[in-house]
Amino acid sequence: MLNLIQTEFLKLRRKKMIWFMLLAAFIMPFFAFLFFEYFNKNGVDSMGFYKWSVFGFTTFIILPFILGVLCTVLMHDENRYDMLKQLWIVPISKMGYFFSKFVIVLFYSICFMMITAVTSVLFSVLPGFVPFEWQSVLFLLERCLEIAVLTSFGVLPILAIASGQKGYVFPFCMTLLYIFLGFFTSSVNIYLHPLSSISFIIARSGNIPGLASAQGINVPLALLCTLIWDVLSVLFAHFSLNRRK
Amino acid sequence: MQKLIWAEWKKLRRSSIIIFTILATVLVAVIVLLAGQGMTTEGYYLNDAGWYMTMIQPWATMFVLPAVIAMLGSYMICREEQDDTLKSLLLIPVSETKLTAAKMIVTFILSILLYLLLFVITLMTEIILHFSALSASMVLGFFKSYLLEGIGVFLAVSPIIVLVSYTKKSYWLDLLLAEIYSFAALFMSMSSVTKTFYPITALLGVAGYYETTASNQIGSVIVLLLCGCLSIFLLLGHSQRKKEEKY
Repeated sequence: MLNLIQTEFLKLRRKKMIWFMLLAAFIMPFFAFLFFEYFNKNGVDSMGFYKWSVFGFTTFIILPFILGVLCTVLMHDENRYDMLKQLWIVPISKMGYFFSKFVIVLFYSICFMMITAVTSVLFSVLPGFVPFEWQSVLFLLERCLEIAVLTSFGVLPILAIASGQKGYVFPFCMTLLYIFLGFFTSSVNIYLHPLSSISFIIARSGNIPGLASAQGINVPLALLCTLIWDVLSVLFAHFSLNRRK
Repeated sequence: MQKLIWAEWKKLRRSSIIIFTILATVLVAVIVLLAGQGMTTEGYYLNDAGWYMTMIQPWATMFVLPAVIAMLGSYMICREEQDDTLKSLLLIPVSETKLTAAKMIVTFILSILLYLLLFVITLMTEIILHFSALSASMVLGFFKSYLLEGIGVFLAVSPIIVLVSYTKKSYWLDLLLAEIYSFAALFMSMSSVTKTFYPITALLGVAGYYETTASNQIGSVIVLLLCGCLSIFLLLGHSQRKKEEKY
């Protein structure tokens, strides 16, 4: 398994696109900076800024979208060049192959969120919106790590769909719709979709303004929702990879 | 040119991309319908006649359809390189600029058709939910909005699609740019200046989703036309570069 993960990391060196996608980590901190600079000059606190730069659209849309595209890229390139046959001949375990890709997604997600956290601190402290406080920075880093790990598990269905497809069109469409569904189900029932559950899990202690309703969240139930989707995804990936010769 | 467009249609019929894009459009409609089950103090959102047809416009335009339309365009452009059919086409000979232009025209038609499909789905739902509250002027107004959005989205994303013709392999970049570009409209709609001049919000203003002044609408139309012109310039620039590479 470790060999597979190492091989996956070596393959990443050839994909310049992966580095380019990390630039998306700057989007929300930059928009938060613009928002507080031009629209909301009075009364900025660190949590208010981080809610904009990290806990809002980054968690709901940007990170899942980037990870969805990454899942599709990781699976598509090998399918496209018909590399799977050669990999099965080695032989490597089909589920080992699937989980090695997942480790890449997890690692990438952590890198992405750490960049977002550092950028958020820079965009909030350097223009003088908020003073530098270790307590809020550590809270931000802790929640970013949580978001990264949970979201990588949240996008496992996309990885499973991509593993069963030769093309990239269907997984890409599904990525968009999966995120769109998560965004909307959060207003109906947060325990239906992993992405909506994650957004509420990270606000569980109620210290993120505007997400106060998350105080009453049932964290085990929200985690169970993610677990159910993940188990189904792994079964789907197992079935679709075994079907492919 | 007609033959090239006809050939592109034929090629698309063999591919499953059309089915996937139709599926994506239908699912967008279903998801917004589910979101309409949300409650306000006055009841369900869906209880208001026209809520569904109105709200699906920004959500589809800011989250899903521009990326799907950019994907359609980039897929058509990149597949010639991927399937190694570009060489054969150039041997016929087919002008590469004309070929890309034909693909852009097909994308334009598909963009309008996707929005019209969305219109038909939402209209059917509204007819089932509030038949008596619908009027002909309201339906015609929505038809005009959806039609203009189909045209506007194509114009807004066309520079991104044309960029793909430069490299032929960077379709991932295209999809990523298109999604971030459409998603950024959420923030651009906060200021009246950016709402008028940012292409995605500009098209919503032209389509009538945002209430704007006549001068702002003219500004938005100009921005969208400039996007179209930029695509043409990029296309011509690419053809010029190819010629220079030859000689």
